[in-house]
Amino acid sequence: MVRLSSFLLKTYHGGHIVIRLAMAGHKQSNRPFYRVVAAYNKRARDSKYIEQLGSYDPLPNIYNEKLVSFNSDRIKYWMGCGAHPTKPVAKLLGLAGFFPLHPMTVTEAERRRALVELAEGAAPEEVDKQQEL
Amino acid sequence: MFQVITRSTPVIRLLAPRGAVLVEAVRGRKTRTDPKAKSKEGRIKTPPPVDPVEMVVLRERFTEYDLIMRALRLEFKEEMLRKRYEEEVGSLAEERAKQEAEEHRSLMTWNQEENLRMLKIRELRVQKEVEAAEVKKAEAAILREQAMEHFVKEKEGEIMRFQEEAKNFITLENLDQRIEEALDDPKNYNFAIDKDGRVVKRTVLQ
Repeated sequence: MVRLSSFLLKTYHGGHIVIRLAMAGHKQSNRPFYRVVAAYNKRARDSKYIEQLGSYDPLPNIYNEKLVSFNSDRIKYWMGCGAHPTKPVAKLLGLAGFFPLHPMTVTEAERRRALVELAEGAAPEEVDKQQEL
Repeated sequence: MFQVITRSTPVIRLLAPRGAVLVEAVRGRKTRTDPKAKSKEGRIKTPPPVDPVEMVVLRERFTEYDLIMRALRLEFKEEMLRKRYEEEVGSLAEERAKQEAEEHRSLMTWNQEENLRMLKIRELRVQKEVEAAEVKKAEAAILREQAMEHFVKEKEGEIMRFQEEAKNFITLENLDQRIEEALDDPKNYNFAIDKDGRVVKRTVLQ
């Protein structure tokens, strides 16, 4: 596809550039696939972006991996130009090691661990109670 | 519009900026004039419970995270600016510019030489064409002269023929003489002629 106009023509009043996930156009299928993309804030999620900076496949593959890719040079460039990453992008980048680990990742992990411990604590108690009974 | 904080996680609630409005800003299928559903009339919406210990820890973590992110951002900005500067003003850029200038000069000289060469070739070609044109002109002139001569000769021949024929014309002086001659000399055209040229003078007499 030939881009006939440059991005300089469309100016947004008070808009900024974001690094976010955009759904790739696999329509009519129960198969999402995201692209990590630098786009203007005001644009629709899937519409014209400035540059693609990576991809994210939310469904695990046969080896139970979720594949993510990043173009670190260009991400550095856009961050230097003042782009803001969204929460999921920030979390992914934190897990990748590019950014510091996002606090919510840690908090979620702690919460889940607490629930698991609770469940383990409840299950042995039930087992004991049943044994007593 | 004011900055609206929706029913979001307590983290963002606490970290919200001061001027924000804590309003339920839910738009859905219904407009603001539609009545509430019967099953939802007595419902009191409560936010999810907040663990204060966790909240404090989370606050700390977020401040740290923000600090690191800001530092990273500035670092990236610096790196980008340095790269741009190097591209435009760095040592490599100067070398590239020099090389390009040299290339340009060499190409221009080559172009000049080519122009001279083509000029010489063109000169020769033009000369040849001129000579050929002259030769053609001369030939054409000769032909024209020949045609003229031929024409003149023909016309002269015709004139001679006419003159000779004029000797046999009937004029006012010859008129009487010719009448006498014609009357003296009767001619009989009563004959038939074949395609082969055989003349038949004998006619069918009745």
